[in-house]
Amino acid sequence: MNEQELIQSIIGKLVEQGVIGTLVEQGVITGAPSAETVAAVSASPSASQGDAGEPVTLPPLNEVKVDKPKNMAALEAMRKTTPARIFMGRCGARQKTHSFLHFQADHAAAVDAVFMDVSDACLAENGLFGVQTLVKDKDEFLMKPELGKKLNEAAKKTIAEKCVKGAQVQIIVVDGLSSTAIEANIADTVPALIQGLKAEGISVGTPFFIKYGRVGVMDEVGALLDCDVVVELVGERPGLITAESMSAYMVYKAGKKTVEADRTIISNIHKGGTPPAEAGAHMATVVKQMLSHKASGVTLSEAMRG
Amino acid sequence: MNLRSKIGDKVFTFQSVREVMAKANNEKSGDALAGIAAESATERVAAKLCLANLQLKDIYENPVIAYDNDEVTRVIYDDLNTTIYESVKNWSVAELREFILKSRRQGDLLNISRGLTSEMIAAAAKLMSTMDLVYASKKIKVSAHCNTTIGLPGTLSFRCQPNHPTDSIEGILASLKEGLSFGSGDACIGVNPVEDNVEGFTRVMRAITDFKGKYEIPTQCVVLAHITTQMQAMEKGVPVDLLFQSIAGTQSANDAFGISATMLAEAREMALRLGTSTGPNVIYFETGQGSEISLDCHHGVDIMTLEARCYGLARRFNPFMLNNVSGFIGPETIYTGKEVIRADLEDLFMGKMHGLSMGIAPCYTNHMKADQDDQELGTMLCAMAGSNFFMGVSGGDDCMLNYQDTSFHDDAATREILALRPAPEFEKWLEKMGIMEEGCLTDAAGDASIFDK
Amino acid sequence: MGMQAKSFWSSFFQKAGRRRHLIMADSPKISSLYAAHVSRPVEGDAEEVVTSVGIDIGTTTTQCVISRLTVKNTAPGTLVPRMEITDKEVVYRSDIHFTPITGENLVDTEKVFRLIEGEFSKAGISPSEIDTGAVIITGETAKKENARRISGEMAGYAGDFVVATAGGKLESVIAGRGSGASDYSRRYFKTVANIDIGGGTANIGIFKSGKAIDSCCINIGGRLLRVDAEESRIVQITGPMAHILDDLGLSLKEGDRVDPLNIEIICRRMAEVVLNSLQSSALTGLEDALMMTAPLRLDYEVECVMISGGVADYAYTTSPCDTLDEIGRYGDIGPMLGRQVQQVFKGNGMAFIRPTETIRATVIGAGSQTVDVSGSTIVVTDECLPMKNIPVVIPFGEGIPESPDAVGEAIRQSVSSLYEAADLEPLAIGIQGDEYLSYKRIQSLAQGVLMGLEPLIRVGFPVIVVLEHDSGKVLGQSLRVLNPAAQVICVDQIEVNEGDYIDIGRSIAGGTVVPVVIKTLVFETRQV
Repeated sequence: MNEQELIQSIIGKLVEQGVIGTLVEQGVITGAPSAETVAAVSASPSASQGDAGEPVTLPPLNEVKVDKPKNMAALEAMRKTTPARIFMGRCGARQKTHSFLHFQADHAAAVDAVFMDVSDACLAENGLFGVQTLVKDKDEFLMKPELGKKLNEAAKKTIAEKCVKGAQVQIIVVDGLSSTAIEANIADTVPALIQGLKAEGISVGTPFFIKYGRVGVMDEVGALLDCDVVVELVGERPGLITAESMSAYMVYKAGKKTVEADRTIISNIHKGGTPPAEAGAHMATVVKQMLSHKASGVTLSEAMRG
Repeated sequence: MNLRSKIGDKVFTFQSVREVMAKANNEKSGDALAGIAAESATERVAAKLCLANLQLKDIYENPVIAYDNDEVTRVIYDDLNTTIYESVKNWSVAELREFILKSRRQGDLLNISRGLTSEMIAAAAKLMSTMDLVYASKKIKVSAHCNTTIGLPGTLSFRCQPNHPTDSIEGILASLKEGLSFGSGDACIGVNPVEDNVEGFTRVMRAITDFKGKYEIPTQCVVLAHITTQMQAMEKGVPVDLLFQSIAGTQSANDAFGISATMLAEAREMALRLGTSTGPNVIYFETGQGSEISLDCHHGVDIMTLEARCYGLARRFNPFMLNNVSGFIGPETIYTGKEVIRADLEDLFMGKMHGLSMGIAPCYTNHMKADQDDQELGTMLCAMAGSNFFMGVSGGDDCMLNYQDTSFHDDAATREILALRPAPEFEKWLEKMGIMEEGCLTDAAGDASIFDK
Repeated sequence: MGMQAKSFWSSFFQKAGRRRHLIMADSPKISSLYAAHVSRPVEGDAEEVVTSVGIDIGTTTTQCVISRLTVKNTAPGTLVPRMEITDKEVVYRSDIHFTPITGENLVDTEKVFRLIEGEFSKAGISPSEIDTGAVIITGETAKKENARRISGEMAGYAGDFVVATAGGKLESVIAGRGSGASDYSRRYFKTVANIDIGGGTANIGIFKSGKAIDSCCINIGGRLLRVDAEESRIVQITGPMAHILDDLGLSLKEGDRVDPLNIEIICRRMAEVVLNSLQSSALTGLEDALMMTAPLRLDYEVECVMISGGVADYAYTTSPCDTLDEIGRYGDIGPMLGRQVQQVFKGNGMAFIRPTETIRATVIGAGSQTVDVSGSTIVVTDECLPMKNIPVVIPFGEGIPESPDAVGEAIRQSVSSLYEAADLEPLAIGIQGDEYLSYKRIQSLAQGVLMGLEPLIRVGFPVIVVLEHDSGKVLGQSLRVLNPAAQVICVDQIEVNEGDYIDIGRSIAGGTVVPVVIKTLVFETRQV
């Protein structure tokens, strides 16, 4: 029996003997009288019965948890106006248990998004082959950003073998700072983008995946494959609101001379932001504008304005 | 000047003061990225030993970036009190460290501060441990006045930071109300706008200023656009209490920020002439270790020394607040929780030793190896060390900038743990609103709907 | 904290030039913030101004206003654009005219049109410059036979995309939006009743969080009794007024002498009817007789009351209203009714709030609060637009079926009655809910929609889909790819319900959005 099981069995016994339940009923256990805390305490003995019932979950973040507010309707209306973690209530000057755990869960998701890799299964399902930059591991990837912009030799060779040169558009998928974003979105974004491009009669090269990649890696791909436009789908630095957010960077004639201002960007692509399929359809329209103006980034904005 | 030191039977030879300074630094990924960090633990200690024995005049005579080449160097040297410098120039860095640690009077420290270049202050900090830094910082508490006073003994203030990912006024006000209901907002109400333009600045500034006026909140409002945006708005008659700007420790990085010492002076002069606050401190600066590295403007100088140079620039402008955000810059400059905490404490000490009204954002991003526990440790240490203020963010997560910073809860708890109070004018207001009684939050605190009864 | 995200990168852009290489810009979130300033103009996007007209033809008065609605991208930085109406400015307010009435007590449409033409020329605007708007035929006027004629001919006078509507319930909502009650409810988190009292009717709209949640219409108005102040005689007693007099046991006839005391008694009773309708949904007697719609549900607590409409100004002043000259200055009893409403509502627990607009609330609501814009990533065929009064069908009440066949079948079933009609008419498929739609679901949805609408496509009608979820563009593109010959109008981020009618205008803002007007039947609006 490990420590956790030991504690649970003791709690279970205490409840059997009516000790804990009695204390709660009599209000002796005070200081945290919110309904869910009581529920959590009384729910824990069920663990001693193994897998009984549904697993416990976190309440949604958009519920107002302030105790005895002056104006609940006002709080509920305000809660809808921002994704900020407001109105979670308090115990003393600290977070309630569930908002504390919610924060931990969201941070864990963000950390996993950064530090885990895009799975081979995801690449297979989306028909992508994978190549790698000069980066060796995640630590190096995070601490030496320059290396994430350069393909390793094997990558250059594989790309030369597997991709056609001179297509109008080359799509690349890059892990960036969120593998989770890639796994969550590309199955919807890539086909919607390709459908939109093909409907406009625009030719599309073979999409592929780059591991340990940064935004700038698209410049090397552009030069290598001599395409008009590179579209890079890359995982954004995750926040606690979502770890699934992806950006699209698009450059006309990407290459060594490309600078940041040449990149046209669409960010916040995820289920709770711009839906991934809709984003793909929208990107096709943007690529068409890039081809017709022969420009991207600031130059494209200026051309379209005037 | 002796640039050689010996640890055990191993002799280390350094090429320059700049190299000694860099290698004497505690471990930070930014110095490694720049290729200037110590290559072994022993080399690091050797550099510290070498640095401890340098005289202050060695540092004075060997600026890390030449006077003729860099505006920040010129500001530091031009503003130096030469009489005081002359009285301490023969001290070793070790003597400076020990003078600071044994000093009993804030006045003595702020006096010699006038004769120290930023690099000397950085050098002393490089010879300090974590507790040294807290101990030394605690000796200095510099107050500043805009509409309210922050940095008074026994007080801890907060910037209420109600950011919103699309600058929705309703969303901003919702977070603002919650922050105020937790007693946050006495340092300022400050919003980072998503888009940097006069129109957006005006919209947000008017909204928070109107709210401040409606509830008669004794504080100052700031919207953190580029300083030129704020100046344009101020000329159009938009109310501005406090002017914000990020600054860096080299001229080339400041060029990248689009600022210069001349522009900052103009801005400050304009704020005193056209701004809405009482003053005399009308500037809010932000800095962070490693920003020069990120901009590739570091000139081979370590990130901690560059940070000290930011404070050398800042003190010319008597800021109301200088907020340090070292934890935000990214893993290429600061990678782990340990690095952040160390940087926060170094920065707090160095800023205070420059005579600044210092605050810290003990924050982290999700692509660093740091978590909430590191942040809370940093917060408590900085509070013990006498930080004037922290940020205040709903639930500890800034949903616009996507990083974690001190929550309204953390702020209130820190006050309670250390028996610190809000700025006096603000505390009176909290009492009037029923949020605080005798320095403690009431049952009504934490309920944003007290503004909509 | 502020440094890096904004000032960092924006200042970098502003001053350092755009060509410098950045290490940190490579972290996507940061660089997207940075890029907010390089990929888009710093000083705001181009905005589009839509000219909107509102015309209110009421029992007593006829007015019009011209508004300019600013449509602008509100999505900051690198987000996909979101065009929204960001500003509504009333640029012209007409005089307040008495509604021209013919000998038969009907609206004199010829005179109304001439009057509006006159106001347009004073405003320096021609119908061709008007993009959108609404004509609202209100109060007693809406009952009259020529309402249909007014709306039928109005397009010629007031532009192509002008909505004509009449009916108490919708009018209540429009008045409450125009008076500021809707905004007030959103800003101060209160449930607000806006009572718009005109010559013939009192329209009550209930607003919570900016949304209309209930409404009703009562036959109470300032012109139900017309008086001649100089002669101290009654000029006209309308039908509803006869009920009121009955209820009070007053036997007054047209031509009788009348004194201020009588008028006060009458107006007090009228004001009580209004108050009672806000306090009980089980109405009897006079209250029941005068209620023109279903009464309010009252499954909510009304916290604030606002009075708009012609009598409103007298509900918020203390200026004298005692002598018959003062009461009857407009030849009716409106001023006294306003006074009595003020007194009856005093001290009953509801806050009595002054609206931002009083007599012009309805016309301003009509002119600037009826039109909205669609989501900004859509597919439309402009040649088909504008289209007006398109009935909306909701085929997927239980959620969108998985297979294309099931989607097609659901559509066929829900439109079968419309297909059986002798003449096919265009219709719109409404898809409710914010359920996430994957690319695969979109594909099968598109196939199913084309199957289900086959009879309409065959006769050359466009495929019109109105979604709530932000998937209009990918669905529209899929529809076009699957059937290149079909004309597709696929708009999103619009909430519709079964039985709604939708008007869709030609695209604006470089083809990114279309103006839409939803005419909902939830409030039992009578379409004309």
